[in-house]
Amino acid sequence: MNTRRMITGNGAAAWGARLARAEIIPNFPITPQTAIIEEIASWIASGEMDADFLPMESEHSVQSALAAASSAGTRVFSATSSQGLMLMTEMMFVTSGLRLPVIMVNVSRGLSAPITLWSDHNDVLVQRDSGWLQIFCSNNQEVLDSVVMGYKIAEDSEVLLPMMINLDGFTLSATREPVEIPSQDEIDDFLPAYNPTHTILDPKYPMSMGGAVFDEYMYFRSQQRMAMCNSKDVITDVCAEWEKMTGRGWACGLVEPYCLEDSERALLICGSESATLKYTVDKLRADGEKVGMLRLRTMRPFPCEGITDALSDVEKIGVIDQDISPGSGGIIATEVKACLGRSVTSFIAGLGGRRIGVEKYEKIFGRLGQDVEEWIF
Amino acid sequence: MKDSYLKKLTDIPMEDYLVGGHVACQGCSASLGLRLALKVLGKDTVVINGSGCMTLLPVYPTTPLRVPWIHLAIENTGAAGTALYYALRRKNIKANILGYAGDGATYDIGLQSLSGAAEKNIDMIYICYNNQSFGNTGHQRASSTPRASSTSTTPGGKVEVEKDMPAIMAAHRIPYVATACPSYPVDFLNKVKRAAEVKGMAYIDLLVPCPVGWGFDPSEGIDIGRLAVRTGIWKLYEIVDGRVNLTYIPKKRRGVSEYLRAQGRFSHLSEEDIGAIQEEVDEAWEGLEARGYEYEIMV
Repeated sequence: MNTRRMITGNGAAAWGARLARAEIIPNFPITPQTAIIEEIASWIASGEMDADFLPMESEHSVQSALAAASSAGTRVFSATSSQGLMLMTEMMFVTSGLRLPVIMVNVSRGLSAPITLWSDHNDVLVQRDSGWLQIFCSNNQEVLDSVVMGYKIAEDSEVLLPMMINLDGFTLSATREPVEIPSQDEIDDFLPAYNPTHTILDPKYPMSMGGAVFDEYMYFRSQQRMAMCNSKDVITDVCAEWEKMTGRGWACGLVEPYCLEDSERALLICGSESATLKYTVDKLRADGEKVGMLRLRTMRPFPCEGITDALSDVEKIGVIDQDISPGSGGIIATEVKACLGRSVTSFIAGLGGRRIGVEKYEKIFGRLGQDVEEWIF
Repeated sequence: MKDSYLKKLTDIPMEDYLVGGHVACQGCSASLGLRLALKVLGKDTVVINGSGCMTLLPVYPTTPLRVPWIHLAIENTGAAGTALYYALRRKNIKANILGYAGDGATYDIGLQSLSGAAEKNIDMIYICYNNQSFGNTGHQRASSTPRASSTSTTPGGKVEVEKDMPAIMAAHRIPYVATACPSYPVDFLNKVKRAAEVKGMAYIDLLVPCPVGWGFDPSEGIDIGRLAVRTGIWKLYEIVDGRVNLTYIPKKRRGVSEYLRAQGRFSHLSEEDIGAIQEEVDEAWEGLEARGYEYEIMV
């Protein structure tokens, strides 16, 4: 039976792993992620979750352990954040290159130096090209749902890629919201056990994995790209199935349009800030302004078709980037421009968790039109 | 000594799990070490490799390995072993887990990960094939490189003494630590057998003379290994419960110059330098003799 509880984003992530019956949990503490692994540790200790809890000596070792355990055909889970995700970088490419459907939650946090504990998206976007699917969640329910759906998507034979599920540090990770927790029976019906045939570490079927290639390298990369392309349909299908079961489809998984039908101005955003932006849209619409929002749910695969469909009739477009590529600009704005082939106003805001808020969003809506980069302090 | 242990060369099993056709260098003792170890570990073994020379054994689409093999990166053989131990247990697969990584991947970049696995006393056998340098990239200095050895990054000879890795591993209180050399295959393989028998982590530091890096003819690898042991420069021992026990005591030690002069990496040494090394080695062995070749290294 489903239950409804007041839980944090971190709690929702842990529930996702528990419901998906993740078996191996390599981990390393880092703020603001630590509560996820603490929750899982307590469930394993109490017998509520059947998994092996592996406290590792670094995040690099965590990602290595995820890859090794997944290679042997077990379902794995971990969570990290910021500096921890950076330390994993080398192994992120190995995990996706070996086509291992690892699910990992990242609780986003700005990168040092200087030190910040608060959220922005530069940590996620450093891993943009690592071959992982990347999902941005807008609330705690979406975190739980995305983790469970993540396994079904990543383990699909058309995909077989790892997935990173991002939730914003503190805004979601430490904030309690009502979250519907599906029953274990329901999830067991939805998500079959993981039994891979492409990676086996069993003496009965000797296989050499992770070796060198010569000329063929480019073919492997091409297959990885193909898998990423395939994942779009798989995400949509899995979300449709999830919607049938739970009533929540997360707008077919790739982008979530909000009030775009007759919009003259729109902002593209990702993550939990979309909630404040929706509120702002409602407020401005009450005053008769034709504004809307598009939430980017998947950064990888990048949903160019979805963005084009949603924004092609909108006159003025802006992109909120909670990240910066110094010397280039907002990373998402750059991608959106390349996708749409038209001018977009780029706003850099909320770095290191700096508050944006309704007033600033109202101001931003008033500044759309020019192809410039503007910093909103 | 148990009956199952080897007594002579002909006791070594004929079956091979690392077969011919791979691309390791002629005279490579590292591939010999793996081939020998797999003979006694048998088919129910999963190998984890840290990046290095041996990573180039399987080259797509071929593999010379008849047992499962996984390579992830250079610094995570310990972490991968930890995960694999639990994953195989969940899959009800009973197999030896063999970590096979070079000294650069063990003494240097992979030390943290190996230490983590040792602290957890993961039931795996970790063999460090030790060519005393970053061999695969062309013989650069490592913390395993002995003092005085020249490398491509210490052309005048390394100044510092190498790390005492077996002692570091013993300090983790793992049940079994040993040193070995493929030039002494019976000694080496009995250590592999003991390593497989103990519950928990076993570490074997395997000296593998490298013709390319050390500068000798590929036909001389076995002889160089024998000289390393007979001169007393490379000691063969085990550490069990903090107690060191020498498994081979040269009856009459050969002069170190025989070993050093046979290798290009020591060709810059003067007679004086060699004399100093001889004095150090003699002093160490006098100490060992005084202790009856068996002593506690920790409480």
